[in-house]
Amino acid sequence: MTATAPDRTAAPPMVVARGLTKQFGRVTAVAGVDFDIASNECVGFLGPNGAGKTTLMRMIYSAFARTAGELTVFGRAPMLERKRINARLGVVFQENNLDEELTARECLLVHALYCGLDRATARRRIDFLLDWLQLAAKADTGPRQLSGGMVRRLMIARALLNSPDLLILDEPTTGLDPQMRHSIWALLRELKRQGLTILLTTHYMEEAQQLSDRVLIMDRGRIILAGPPKDLIAQHLERYVLQVSGLAAPPPVPAGVRHERAGDTDYFYSHAEAPLQALYDALATPYALLRHANLEDVFLRFTGRGLHE
Amino acid sequence: MSTPPLSAEELRRPLRLRTGRFWSLYGVWHRHARVYCKTLLANATPPVLEPLFFFLAVALGLGTYLPNATFDGLPYTTYVASGVLVASAMFTSVFETTYGTFVRLVYQRTYDVLLSTHLRVGEVFVGEMLFSATKGALFSSIVLLVTLAFGARPTPWCLLVPVLGFVTGYLFAAVGLIVTSCVKMINNFSFFTTGVVTPIFFFSGTFYPVPEHPAVLKYIALCVPLTPAIELSRALFKAQFTAANALHVVLLAAYTALYHWLALRRMTKRVLAAR
Repeated sequence: MTATAPDRTAAPPMVVARGLTKQFGRVTAVAGVDFDIASNECVGFLGPNGAGKTTLMRMIYSAFARTAGELTVFGRAPMLERKRINARLGVVFQENNLDEELTARECLLVHALYCGLDRATARRRIDFLLDWLQLAAKADTGPRQLSGGMVRRLMIARALLNSPDLLILDEPTTGLDPQMRHSIWALLRELKRQGLTILLTTHYMEEAQQLSDRVLIMDRGRIILAGPPKDLIAQHLERYVLQVSGLAAPPPVPAGVRHERAGDTDYFYSHAEAPLQALYDALATPYALLRHANLEDVFLRFTGRGLHE
Repeated sequence: MSTPPLSAEELRRPLRLRTGRFWSLYGVWHRHARVYCKTLLANATPPVLEPLFFFLAVALGLGTYLPNATFDGLPYTTYVASGVLVASAMFTSVFETTYGTFVRLVYQRTYDVLLSTHLRVGEVFVGEMLFSATKGALFSSIVLLVTLAFGARPTPWCLLVPVLGFVTGYLFAAVGLIVTSCVKMINNFSFFTTGVVTPIFFFSGTFYPVPEHPAVLKYIALCVPLTPAIELSRALFKAQFTAANALHVVLLAAYTALYHWLALRRMTKRVLAAR
């Protein structure tokens, strides 16, 4: 299988982009990207801050007009057909933009009404979502009294009010503790099982790996790699990595092991675990970690391990 | 938290969304009204009290030195009342769409949410101006009632005060949005409130008639959008309508249409631009 969307010939793609470009004055935020998002796919847009992920999402929900290239969402043109497109999607923002003056239930009610639900439907749907997202006990509490995880769940509830087919999440777990992150991930997997198509941006490699059928790795406005996380790792890296920090000079590199040094950290890559284990045992430093290669290694391999801002 | 079992049917239930203009405007209006009412006392006190203090100080304070004076055919108390009630619509509206809109735009990021839904930029800001206009109608009515209690003399035409307050509110909501679309920092609004709103309040014939000589002053005053609204308010209190009032109606409608158009144009540009 190539690193493209899963074959769902029956359903047309949800989002299609060709040469999609966005410039702000002389700054190019998105520099000609091509991708398809299939129905019921979960796709992670991965990249450092400023890679163009959020701008890309904002073009999909018609918050920005594109500068060049093509983009269709549900087969329609953003900006021109924003009503028809946005009625079918929900957006979860990175920062908390709930109305602080209102209670959780009221936050959902005002959103439901301007989304176009009638009051009876809105009430039923709000009760259902508060219940399912375990917010019912906090329904009459303001967002300021909610924990970070509850705020995120309330924002997910808000995005689900209009029964969307496509859910867009911008950094859904940034700033959450590990328990919360795992529970949000479980939630998103459940939504995917129920047939939603999910787009998320993240700079957490683990998040992308946990959730995404495919990741599109972005850097400086371009998609530099695309495919299922496992395939990307298998294609581009050895299976194991030994990562050692703070060595004055790297030790001799055993046969069959590839070595890289970036800053004060040495990386040893190998398809076999044994030589790395031997090296690990031989090094008398606490700052060594033997692990499987992951998306972060792939990402850093393609974008360079140095800081670039 | 473990995710409890989910009623898939409920989650994915197809909904009939009312995405037409009426329900879109209502939805935006409702959002603002709901949030506003949560902090009603703190929000509503200054724009009601400020014109009332001016009324008390000028009409009842200064006015005692002018016991039998009539201005424009009205006793001074009534004259000032008819001016400040329109000014209160201006104040509440212009503050809503300057400071209020700026906070929603930059700090609370409310428009990010509104514009991630099917709502058009135009619907979002027309809904906002309609909400400001509603406040204009409400506040001018409250000021009317209070001034009546202090001796201003009404006519049956005063039942139209809420309508005048509504239109004035809409007009100044549009003015506020135009200013907001240009402002980068919240402190910049003080130039506008002190440099523009306050002079409008004092020099639009609120407290004394716009001088007849030189005649050019009268025309300059008519360029200020509050003047025709105040002139119409006077006409309601006099229960006399002249040909000049027809001009005032036309001017008020023209200013409202012009600023409405400019406000939408400017705000569309502002929200669709990069942060």
